[in-house]
Amino acid sequence: MRIVIAEDSVLLLDGLTRLLAAEGHDVTGYTTADEVVAALGPSAAVPDILVTDVRMPPSHTDEGLRAAVHLRSLHPRLPVLVLSQYVEQRYARELFASDVRGLGYVLKDRVADVDEFLDALGRVAGGGTVIDPEVVAQILARARRSGLETLTPRERDVLGLMAEGRSNAAIADRLVVGLPAVEKHVTSIFTKLDLPQAADDHRRVLAVLRWLEHEPTNGERP
Amino acid sequence: MTSPTPPSSASDDIRVVAPAFADLRALAAAPVSVATWRGISQIVVGSFVLLVAAIAFTVALSLSLSLLVLFVGIPMLVATLWACRPFAAVERARLHAQLDVTIPAPTYPRRDGVWASWWAVLSDGRTWAHVAYLVVAGLLLTAQGIAVTFAAGFALGGLVYPVVALAAGLTGPPIPLVLMVPAALLCAWVAAITVQAGSLAIVRLGRSLLGSSPRAEAVELARQAQARAAQAEGRAVQLTETRTAAVGAADEERRRIERDLHDGAQQRLVALGVELGSARRKASSDPEAAAALEHAHREVKETLAELRDLVRGIHPAVLTDRGLDAALSALAARSPVPVRVDVPEPPSLSRASTAAQAAAYFVAAEALTNAAKHAQAQAVTVTATVAGENLRLVVADDGRGGARATPGSGLDGLRSRVAALDGTFDLDSPAGAGTRLTVEVPCAS
Repeated sequence: MRIVIAEDSVLLLDGLTRLLAAEGHDVTGYTTADEVVAALGPSAAVPDILVTDVRMPPSHTDEGLRAAVHLRSLHPRLPVLVLSQYVEQRYARELFASDVRGLGYVLKDRVADVDEFLDALGRVAGGGTVIDPEVVAQILARARRSGLETLTPRERDVLGLMAEGRSNAAIADRLVVGLPAVEKHVTSIFTKLDLPQAADDHRRVLAVLRWLEHEPTNGERP
Repeated sequence: MTSPTPPSSASDDIRVVAPAFADLRALAAAPVSVATWRGISQIVVGSFVLLVAAIAFTVALSLSLSLLVLFVGIPMLVATLWACRPFAAVERARLHAQLDVTIPAPTYPRRDGVWASWWAVLSDGRTWAHVAYLVVAGLLLTAQGIAVTFAAGFALGGLVYPVVALAAGLTGPPIPLVLMVPAALLCAWVAAITVQAGSLAIVRLGRSLLGSSPRAEAVELARQAQARAAQAEGRAVQLTETRTAAVGAADEERRRIERDLHDGAQQRLVALGVELGSARRKASSDPEAAAALEHAHREVKETLAELRDLVRGIHPAVLTDRGLDAALSALAARSPVPVRVDVPEPPSLSRASTAAQAAAYFVAAEALTNAAKHAQAQAVTVTATVAGENLRLVVADDGRGGARATPGSGLDGLRSRVAALDGTFDLDSPAGAGTRLTVEVPCAS
């Protein structure tokens, strides 16, 4: 894969570059958000995935996030994995405002868990959605929709894992249960919350997130 | 603040110069009282001083009045009146020396320019009061001198005559000798009372005519009180400013530490984690090395998690970047107890200052920690609103209650922090009925 990384810590950029190069990827690194935005202009060749930090120079606030949102509007098919030292629901909402396809938002510390990081990278590059469990926990804490309390604790766990962007197989793996059990929970959740049954994973993520965030659905994208 | 009490005040006058009027024993002992002898000396010296002053004043006054038709009479009149001021000072000093009474000097009005300064003397009520003192005190001392002389003379005569008469062998006195002695003692007593009464009268007269006027005194007291109030107010403003600045500096310092940790240690540890993670993948052929790397890798990940919690506790970056509303969500998500965050109008919270939002955030963090750790709560609600000029945060749980902000506790520290911003801190935690913590901080703090 052709991977572009934006990360202001040279040390970490170096580590990631070597890790991904060792995995056989073609990696280009930048240390500021402006450089990435300039490199991935309207006419530039779109890489297979963009990995970007949130906090970068010059103001050290959310340059990376804004660059990601900007580049997504420029290249709607560009998969983006956003890394952050802290993940917050507010950032997630800005990032996932329009579409969740090929988008990831995870805690930077998870990079140290190399296998999990490579898994997330692959999923996002493949058009999947990865949302950090912490973000999901925040969304659940703020959810004001009635119906949530009708879920069993197990169903809440499944709902959270669905919101993280995991497939039924991954959920079964995580909860150490069989696939049929997960499918049963998912059906039960969709019935209880009166959610439309979604055909694919990202439409399911979007439906769950929208339901939880209680945002008016203004014309769902295909 | 207490001002030093003057050596003698108006209320002490009776006790000091006329003790006979203050209590019965002193009344009986009046003829041999120190106050009486001081009074006599006062009458003697005062009579001379006032006599000389009265003569000088009368001469100067009549001279200047007669020359008033010529221009030179006016400055003379002014000078005559003005001279009453040093005279008043002499009298105050005399009363202080002879009767131990302190009369504060009045302040005289001052004007620039010849005519204005002359007019200031001529129109000054205090100076004319000194003139009145000269007249009234002169008459008083004269009358008193006569009365005392007569009474003392009778007393002396009544005591001396029987002795002389007996010694000379005279017989047939006009009054029986036995009666003369008590009559003489009565006269001595009357003389002493008169002396003390005179002292009191002259002191009272001096206080009203030689000292500052009651109105001027009240004005002066009011001016002093006002000055003290202004000083206190200035001090309060200064303290408030420095206190707010101190809170702001502490917040700024926390932000700086958070940035340093984020840019330094955290990035290095993540990089180290990546290195160890990839090394572990490669070293799968050597089980021993793989185990060691695995261990090191786990340690790094745990350290990262601990460091992240520490950094959040110092200052959550989301608070700086996205404000209190977003920071509360992050707090709620990390709480082991299910938390409901209720912010009816998220944009309104941005009206609160950074310091106010930071205070509310740390209060919420501490309350959530307590709800999970001590209260064994099942559910917590965090509500943040801006009501009027205040940022209001309510954290309510359904735990076992009984929470107290004991000195040195986390809650106590937060109460100080809220107080430093002029906020209110209300902890309602009855045993067994949950805890409700309400904090209000001025938005502008």
